[in-house]
Amino acid sequence: MDSRKMKDGILQGLIYFSTAFTVLVLVVILGFVLYKGLPGINLNFLTRMWDSKTTFVKVVKEESVDNNTKDGYISSLGITIDLDEKNKVYITEIESESPVKEAVNLKNDSYPIKKGDIITKADTTIFENITIEEAATALENGNETMKLKVVRPGGGIIPMLVSTIYIILLSLLISAPIGILAAIYLNEYAKAGRLLNIIRFAIQNLAGIPSIIYGLFGMLVFVQMLQMQYSILAGALTLSIILLPTIISTTEEALKAIPATYRQSSLGLGATKLQTNYKVVLPNALPGILVAIILSIGRIVGESAALLLTAGTVAQIPTAFTGNEAAAATLTTKLYWLIKESGDLSGASSIAIVLLVLIIVLNIISKTITKHFLAKQGNK
Amino acid sequence: MNDTVSKFSVNDLDLFYGSFQALKKINMEIKENEITAFIGPSGCGKSTFLKTLNRMNDLVENVQIGGNIYLDGVDIYSDIDVIKLRSRVGMVFQQPNPFPMSIYDNVAYGPRIHGIKKKNQLDEIVEKSLRQAAIWDEVKDKLKKSALAVSGGQQQRVCIARTLAVEPEVILMDEPTSALDPISTLKIEDLAVELKKDYTIIIVTHNMQQASRISDKTAFFLLGEMIEYGDTHQIFNNPVDKKTEDYITGRFG
Repeated sequence: MDSRKMKDGILQGLIYFSTAFTVLVLVVILGFVLYKGLPGINLNFLTRMWDSKTTFVKVVKEESVDNNTKDGYISSLGITIDLDEKNKVYITEIESESPVKEAVNLKNDSYPIKKGDIITKADTTIFENITIEEAATALENGNETMKLKVVRPGGGIIPMLVSTIYIILLSLLISAPIGILAAIYLNEYAKAGRLLNIIRFAIQNLAGIPSIIYGLFGMLVFVQMLQMQYSILAGALTLSIILLPTIISTTEEALKAIPATYRQSSLGLGATKLQTNYKVVLPNALPGILVAIILSIGRIVGESAALLLTAGTVAQIPTAFTGNEAAAATLTTKLYWLIKESGDLSGASSIAIVLLVLIIVLNIISKTITKHFLAKQGNK
Repeated sequence: MNDTVSKFSVNDLDLFYGSFQALKKINMEIKENEITAFIGPSGCGKSTFLKTLNRMNDLVENVQIGGNIYLDGVDIYSDIDVIKLRSRVGMVFQQPNPFPMSIYDNVAYGPRIHGIKKKNQLDEIVEKSLRQAAIWDEVKDKLKKSALAVSGGQQQRVCIARTLAVEPEVILMDEPTSALDPISTLKIEDLAVELKKDYTIIIVTHNMQQASRISDKTAFFLLGEMIEYGDTHQIFNNPVDKKTEDYITGRFG
């Protein structure tokens, strides 16, 4: 009797301990990431480009209203300047009518100067170890058409955010229709038998292959053989292949859950198979399909290995599908690159927080969609 | 017995599921504007036979069919499109199985897939069908509500309305009341009697009283064979075959 009680006690303790351990690990990891990363998250981090960008611009000055250059205000340019902690001259305020908004670069393309831009040179005056007064005077008294060397500071994740969104959209555009149609074929049309079993077996196994192998394949085929180079298209195609098994099997589960009687009554009313699939089967599978798509988005957001080998690690907003202009780092590949190449743990942690928030938001959306659809169908 | 026209003529119908013979040499004439009941113990083939009449058995794999079934003299397995056949021969299933849509959309489903798009035309069909199915008054205020939100008996009548909306000539009912309470059952039975003025109704039932209450003709099936077929009154009061008598008096089944 007593030994039985003791065994119970030990086992129960073990169960409690395991649970507590799991929770503890989670809390520690999250806590570490938050501790390291939170200080780095601010508006600039979320809105700026990654790399600083230096540009020469020409500004046509206005007639000066008052020559008081105190407090860094330059009336002929309609801007206010200040020194940052590294003694660089940056713009703190731009008036709404300011001529710097009409600034053009050396190719005469419009390049409006923004708040936060750093001025390193005005005409011939180099802004180094300079006081605000000196800088303001130099700006106020410069040529009518003033030449400025402007550095737009980086340090933000906008390129990675945009690239991630591009890759999500592209991958889903490719894999969702193919996956859903394939699932419909497998579940609604294919005849049970050996061939179907082989196809199912293949799909199940595809889902288990490590993504780096898909990455290798993508690099060999898309990047090299098809000469797409590191590009969002190569990355998206590779990810589409990774996603297909998940989309197919999740959609199939959704299709299987639809009662056979729905199909029978539709066919019994004289509907064709296609009408039945498109009017009864597919609408009812929609919540499941949406969940499949949201799971896929989560997978894309979290994927790094395959993208490192196919989309590259350049922090730029891609402007093409293939080629140099299309290379793109997503949040995860940048996170990897930050740790690996520059050892910047806090920067990596800040990106990790953004990723965590993204994933949580996706999960909430997927839950809401499922609930909403169940409620709509009246079978809560 | 030949005072009304034959709707269905069945000649030497055999049906195999793989190597199992589920129906053996069935011959039968089913009359127009009558209720024909199929009775028999579970597994006797009555539901299988019912499903051959609108080719729902096509959906089952490994089914082989021999013999002929004629609808108004046309062979339904060779000379008519199955889609067309099913819109002429509607079916009501054992479990109420409305689509998870509104009541309106359920009833409008059939007309819509057959190409009717105009709102007022659909409205008309929906109302007419629901009235015919004797459920209009109960649901007219909740047409936009989910069909799954009403009771089982009401769902079954919505399903009947859905079948009627396609304007079939024949309605097949596969144990339509087996999942319903007695009051709902009576409503469906009254409805069947009412509907036979305009439709030919064939009903599979486990419920002997039901067959005797509402049907004009009754067929008794046993182990894939049709043992006896005749006027309901005669089958229940004066069966020719010993097996029919045993079943009806409750000696097996």
